[in-house]
Amino acid sequence: MSVPAGSTNARPAARRRRRRSGLPQVPWVWVLPALVLVLLLRYVATAAGGWYAFTDWNGISREAQFIGLDNFREILDNPASRGALENTIVLAVTFVVAANVIGLLLALALHRTLKTRILLRALFFAPVVMSSLAVSYIWQFIFSYTGPLNRFLDAVGLDSWQRAWTGDPTWALWTIFVVLVWQFAGLAMVMYLSGLAGIPEELDEAAAVDGASTLRRFRTITLPLLAPAFTVSVTLSLVYGLGVFDQVLALTGGGPVDASETLATQIYKQTFAFGRYGYGAALSLILTVLITAMALAQLAVLRYRERRI
Amino acid sequence: MAPVTFSNVSKTYPDGTRALVGFELDIADGELVVFVGPSGCGKTTALRMVAGLEEVTDGEIRIGDRVVNDLAPQDRDVAMVFQNYALYPHMSVFDNIAFPLRCQRVPKREIRERVQQAAALLGLEEQLGRRPRHLSGGQRQRVAMGRAIVRQPQVFLMDEPLSNLDAKLRVQMRSEITRLQEELGVTTIFVTHDQVEAMTMGDRIAVLRRGVLQQHGPPELLYDEPANLFVAEFIGSPAMNLFRGRLENDGSGLACAIGEQRVPLPEHTLARRLGLAAYADRELAVGIRPEHLLDARSSDPALPRLRGDVKFDEALPPERLVYATVEAPPVVTEDVLELAQDVDAAAVERLEELAQERFVLACARFDITASPPPRGPFEFAVAVDRLHFFDLETGAAIR
Amino acid sequence: MHRYTWRTLIRELALFALAALWWIPLYFLVTIALKPDLEALASPLSFPSQIELGNFGTAWTEGSLGRALANSVILTVGTVVLLVALGSLCAYTIARRAGAMSTTLYLLFVIGIILPFQLGLVPTYAALRELGLVGTYLGLILFYTGVWMPFSVFLYTGFARALPRDYEEAARVDGASQLRIFWRVVFPLLRPVTGTVAIFTGLIIWNDFFLALIFLSGTDNTPLPVAVYSFVAEFASRWNLVFAAVIVALLPALCFFVVAQRQLIRGFTGGIKT
Repeated sequence: MSVPAGSTNARPAARRRRRRSGLPQVPWVWVLPALVLVLLLRYVATAAGGWYAFTDWNGISREAQFIGLDNFREILDNPASRGALENTIVLAVTFVVAANVIGLLLALALHRTLKTRILLRALFFAPVVMSSLAVSYIWQFIFSYTGPLNRFLDAVGLDSWQRAWTGDPTWALWTIFVVLVWQFAGLAMVMYLSGLAGIPEELDEAAAVDGASTLRRFRTITLPLLAPAFTVSVTLSLVYGLGVFDQVLALTGGGPVDASETLATQIYKQTFAFGRYGYGAALSLILTVLITAMALAQLAVLRYRERRI
Repeated sequence: MAPVTFSNVSKTYPDGTRALVGFELDIADGELVVFVGPSGCGKTTALRMVAGLEEVTDGEIRIGDRVVNDLAPQDRDVAMVFQNYALYPHMSVFDNIAFPLRCQRVPKREIRERVQQAAALLGLEEQLGRRPRHLSGGQRQRVAMGRAIVRQPQVFLMDEPLSNLDAKLRVQMRSEITRLQEELGVTTIFVTHDQVEAMTMGDRIAVLRRGVLQQHGPPELLYDEPANLFVAEFIGSPAMNLFRGRLENDGSGLACAIGEQRVPLPEHTLARRLGLAAYADRELAVGIRPEHLLDARSSDPALPRLRGDVKFDEALPPERLVYATVEAPPVVTEDVLELAQDVDAAAVERLEELAQERFVLACARFDITASPPPRGPFEFAVAVDRLHFFDLETGAAIR
Repeated sequence: MHRYTWRTLIRELALFALAALWWIPLYFLVTIALKPDLEALASPLSFPSQIELGNFGTAWTEGSLGRALANSVILTVGTVVLLVALGSLCAYTIARRAGAMSTTLYLLFVIGIILPFQLGLVPTYAALRELGLVGTYLGLILFYTGVWMPFSVFLYTGFARALPRDYEEAARVDGASQLRIFWRVVFPLLRPVTGTVAIFTGLIIWNDFFLALIFLSGTDNTPLPVAVYSFVAEFASRWNLVFAAVIVALLPALCFFVVAQRQLIRGFTGGIKT
């Protein structure tokens, strides 16, 4: 045995090797199936999609023509696509705020004390497990001209507010917003509840004995310690909101006159209905950049906070 | 700074558990009182009720002349040190200590001064900018203390603050807390399950068991005159030796029969325990502390003797603990079993086994300078004046 | 410190009111699905005067919901099995091998979680079409597996790394082969992650509409959401029939939720927190 005496790393490494010798190495072959799937379907496909975004490929012809930024120029010129981009951002941002505020409030209300909190949590969480396409039809009925919402407005004397909500250019987008929040708030609640459960009750008690009022305890103890839950919930809702599709298709179909198109519905329509694969890929690239940028920004904030705690 | 008064305080949880029953205690201004007892005895509940973290079911708690029953914790002007310190993980040491002052809207400059002062008092100046998770256990403990002392509250409440420290640090912090408390003169309630901690720290000790206050008083009183079997067993280490005995009148006066042996009780002993007269020809529990079982080879020949069979001894300078079996039925009452349970389940088993065999493993505390007693039959002298007697039914001391 | 006072009671009642509001859509869903055609049109909001279970029959046959249900089960189970089997095997290898290769692979999977699937969608679709896999279960199962595999590997690796080697060494001493050690010793120990992966991805795939619509619409292999979509296109505004179909589509997941509520929420947060 000739172990170089000067090397400080030599000894732990040797020990590690010896410790391992009892077990044969796990063969690399075992990673292959998963690896091949992910390499092909995620990496290669994404790279190819990035290339198609700059072509005019129609999905059928053997070759695709490189057309530079033409697709992107058209996205900005085409009212449907440009509207879709704007709608997606507006919808995602408002949805993230609303779903997280409601989810956080629900979590705070249902964290302790209430006798029926388990039941109530289940009631608010239930929509999360439902097919968002299927539940959207219930909401389409609620928002329909002869539906419950208008009847309710009539009953309380606000009949002038009545309208075909999903067919109204201004309101169509907001019906999607309502369904999104209704379905997602329960999930945000559960994430905040698990964040709250991770804060020792003692800290709250200590702060109370230290003389902090309820509001101050929430602001200086609960909220900062909830930061990780915030990041996760906000990131997840952002990704969900930016990719919204099912609700749009069921409630408005993107209408009226493209007023409620989103990037995902545009990708679907342009690619698979109109056969404009290159254009669809360009839309996908925009969506991908949006999602990645937002997710990375969130992740950076998380890391920053983690280092601080 | 203020006195704290418990008047007939009870706590019943919604599930019917009675955590505290008719608790009566006056704590004087500036006094350090230790609540001690096995787990589940109600000591922490009593403390948390003073803090306002538990509701008072019945009775009254007063801080100074204010009844605080319905006051929120933040309005009571008490400071508490938690068992796990409850340091705010997202704040620096400075911010942790400053927190109570910020809640009181103390001006910034004064906060800085007072935090510095507290930090200096606790030797934390170097740590002020760090976060709790980068501190050692002892440092965390000091930060928790700092947070308590910085605002000069009416009362300090300490919930087993030393239980997470290693043995050496615990002893050090024990004296440090006592010193701080004396310097600041703040009324303090200190909760612990460790009787050694209680004995060394408290001006006064209150022993609790199953929500009931057993006895309170200065440490020496509890040690020398335990009010009942429970306190006798709980206070003192090694614990008091307990035998099941019988009080017999052999014509020349009362004697205590322990197994086949008889320990005559002289007049002056009986005069100190007038209650004993009523127990003539009845069974009772006889207790004797290890230091009152003397080496017969070197003690007053007038003292009555007790024979035992020396099994082993532990040299623990400056003393030697000698363990010997004495043929006599042990005392196996509920109190004793509960205390054994607190040690471990095996202790209960051992106790029950011994009860079957009708032996007591007695402990005697000898001076290390005396030669160790030989294994086998040995005679102890009994400091008969220091015997304790208890009623077997009620456990109450016979006085 | 948290006492139950009359204010708490008010809070509790207020939350029940809010929960009732939250569940109003489901009230409409059930009552209307039980009404005959005329009543559903004339007085949709009232409680049904008679119960018409025929709507479910109509929806079931006209919407081919039986076939769709079977399709949903095949797609979900197929994907979850692949995610669990291939994911755990791969993660175990990464966790037990050290060195640059292992780190690189791990990073590759972690980045895969963040990378959105939408950009790869168009080329994948084209490629699977070339292979004749569009419209088949296999095509979509492969795509789902590719999308969720990084997540599965990530969760399994984190857990496997923390697993003590003692069990494997004991099994080795007992003479078990490597695959046997994995399958009989390691895999059962990974069960908490298996639960999380199965519940989290299972629910998402069960409810997926976007990818199923793209890959399977126009075939007989469509899962429940796509079947409901086609059904609605045909029976639009006959709400009693639409809602009967919606109920059939929602029921399996809801039943699962009622039965396994605790595990489900834990699976969800477990999947999200890491």
